[in-house]
Amino acid sequence: MFGLGLKKKNRIDLRDTPVPEGHHLLEVNDLKMYFHTQDGVVKAVNGVSYTLDRGETLGVVGESGSGKSVTSLTIMGLIPMPPGKVEGGDVLYRGKSLLDMSEDELESIRGNDIAMIFQDPMTSLNPVYTIGRQLSEGMRLHKGMSKKDAMARSVELLKMVGIPNAEQRVKEYPHEFSGGMRQRVMIAMALACDPDILIADEPTTALDVTIQAQIIELMQELQQKNGNAIIMITHDLGVVADIADKIMVMYAGQPVEFGTRDEIFYNPIHPYTWGLNRSIPEPAIDEKHPLTPIKGNPPSLVDLPEGCAFAPRCPYATERCRKEMPKVYTTKTGHYSKCHYSADEAFVRANAPETSRTKAQRIVELKGDM
Amino acid sequence: MTNSNILLRVEHLCKEFPVDSGFIAKRRGTARSVHAVNDVSFDIAEGETFGLVGESGCGKSTTGRCIMRLIEPTSGKVLFKGNDVASMNKKELKDMRREMQFVFQDPYASLNPRMTIGEIVSEPLVIHNVMPKKDERIEFVRGLLDVVGLNPEHINRYPHEFSGGQRQRVGIARAFALRPKLIICDEPVSALDVSIQAQVLNLLSDLQQEYGTAYLFIAHDLSVVQHISDRVAVMYLGNMMEYSDWRSLYAEPCHPYTQSLLSAVPIPDPDIQHSRKRIILRGDPPSPIDPPSGCPFHTRCPIAQAKCSQERPELREISKGHFCACHYAEPNPIKKSSVEL
Ligand SMILES: Nc1ncnc2c1ncn2[C@@H]1O[C@H](COP(=O)(O)OP(=O)(O)OP(=O)(O)O)[C@@H](O)[C@H]1O
Ligand SMILES: Nc1ncnc2c1ncn2[C@@H]1O[C@H](COP(=O)(O)OP(=O)(O)OP(=O)(O)O)[C@@H](O)[C@H]1O
Ligand code: SF4
Ligand SMILES: [Mg+2]
Ligand SMILES: [Mg+2]
Repeated sequence: MFGLGLKKKNRIDLRDTPVPEGHHLLEVNDLKMYFHTQDGVVKAVNGVSYTLDRGETLGVVGESGSGKSVTSLTIMGLIPMPPGKVEGGDVLYRGKSLLDMSEDELESIRGNDIAMIFQDPMTSLNPVYTIGRQLSEGMRLHKGMSKKDAMARSVELLKMVGIPNAEQRVKEYPHEFSGGMRQRVMIAMALACDPDILIADEPTTALDVTIQAQIIELMQELQQKNGNAIIMITHDLGVVADIADKIMVMYAGQPVEFGTRDEIFYNPIHPYTWGLNRSIPEPAIDEKHPLTPIKGNPPSLVDLPEGCAFAPRCPYATERCRKEMPKVYTTKTGHYSKCHYSADEAFVRANAPETSRTKAQRIVELKGDM
Repeated sequence: MTNSNILLRVEHLCKEFPVDSGFIAKRRGTARSVHAVNDVSFDIAEGETFGLVGESGCGKSTTGRCIMRLIEPTSGKVLFKGNDVASMNKKELKDMRREMQFVFQDPYASLNPRMTIGEIVSEPLVIHNVMPKKDERIEFVRGLLDVVGLNPEHINRYPHEFSGGQRQRVGIARAFALRPKLIICDEPVSALDVSIQAQVLNLLSDLQQEYGTAYLFIAHDLSVVQHISDRVAVMYLGNMMEYSDWRSLYAEPCHPYTQSLLSAVPIPDPDIQHSRKRIILRGDPPSPIDPPSGCPFHTRCPIAQAKCSQERPELREISKGHFCACHYAEPNPIKKSSVEL
């Protein structure tokens, strides 16, 4: 990450190759990444699938340790192997497998076609180089820009992410920037080569809400301008409600539910998604509703339950759930869920939480009855 | 609220931390300081939950630590049950701490890794010599563990054998061991997943119902604070900007900072999130070493006027029990000042 060796490579710019017929910009198929550790095999990513197109934003939510970061780091080819090992599945970018690529090929993709904003901004900026030098590095490497051009573009990028006095600030070091500004530098760095896909791993978790709002607004503006896809990893369902087109809900290394934003918020069909929903304090105006937490704790990824991974905490779990791993149930629209009972409409109707839409509906019906 | 049931009163509390306290700076008279808490006043009634919100570094924890006298305030008064905390001698301070406990943010760092959870929870009982008989103490601690939803059989286990949420329960059991009148909860759920956060919030509510404990609940998450608090205060750069009962603070925020904070919290409901008005503040919060003149918020305020950079606004009562420190605050001006996006 920190190397500044500027070797010229025979660059392949996959970004300019059209997405082949029948493919998506990014396709993740049943991806499995396990860590082989002293304590046993950690099934960190255990069958993740989704597709993403240009201009789209995928939100990834779920419990801490559920494999959100590892999934994206696997796509970027940034998991050390060993201890990591891809145990199955594939990742296709514009129809080409990223898992089959050589380190050289991957390097030309990383930061160029697919860029990532890491969870911790301080450790991802090198303290001994100026901000300008770090911003220029990628552009010189991937675009073959001259030092001068790259520096001029760096100033432009800093201005774009709202850093005042950019001509001066490119010459400064990371410690001279506040947390919010460092995060904006990370975004500028990720955007330096106009990536096709921007992966943002909790880009605003360490920031205050007023700064978070600025950063999210910025990412949306740039997406509108460049048409890039975004993968937004967060634990904040509010952020996801704000910007995601599609949402993947993860639990214990697996996506337990995947669908459009409306499907996940207004028609969720997995008990874990329901549980998450009921755990968030809702903005109340006159009356507070008690929270309904999910009981218990997430399972160890070394020693997963035999049946459904959520069964030990699921209020609806049956004997079948504890014995038999649920299959993926997919609706006509591509909305999918990993629960034995997601296909059972009566079960879903009886147990899904009330949403603002169902509530409005209920009130209309109530009035109709009177 | 009648005067008689006021448990804690904070009057004009200030805390400065010296920076570049070196010899030369002192000689030159250029020694600067962090104005962490600046003229903060509020009170907490028995059994009440008083929420303190604000962005990182605004002085929430420092306020809590001054109240317990874990650090000495620079000026101002803290009165617990009418007694001045600053003038208490060692014995009086010890007695006060029996009735005032702390729950910390980090469930990993705040528990001694070399003590079993039984020892951790019973430590306050030992320090205050409340239950001298060991058998009796162990029975009591087992009962407490049960109350906070931990398995009493795990009394001899060590903190590292528990998850974050479970450790926070250990911290809460310990804080409740002496049945205190006030618990200062400093970001007790910030490090937890939402599904676990809800468990801990419910536990705190249940325990309050049962024992009538008052909470000073410090957090940066506005929806969490709204959920748990009776009254809520908003801090910015060491200053109290606004406080009120939770209903009027959230429904009718008067201070432009509170308004922008509330409008910046994304609501987990796409229909609502996409249709509401938002105020996006520009710029970063200023440094507490060199705070702005006049109103501390004027550098980012969307409605600031010339007066704001010259005169510090006092907290004034806008409507009954609703206080706000802004020259131009009026009840519910959000509709006028919000920026359409
Ligand atoms: N190098 C590694 N060796 C062993 N286990 C690992 C390694 N990296 C990650 N893991 C494990 O993989 C699992 C998934 O981790 P991951 O970082 O993807 O979680 P996450 O969903 O991003 O969580 P968070 O919300 O806390 O960031 C965790 O249980 C983690 O402990
Ligand atoms: N011991 C100290 N020495 C010097 N400065 C300090 C000290 N403790 C706190 N500060 C400074 O005082 C200010 C207020 O800090 P405080 O910890 O009270 O904020 P906070 O509101 O609790 O923030 P957070 O949400 O990040 O916990 C900050 O600028 C902080 O850097
Ligand atoms: S499969 Fe069973 S245990 Fe798993 S989520 Fe569905 S109902 Fe719950
Ligand atoms: Mg992560
Ligand atoms: Mg704090």
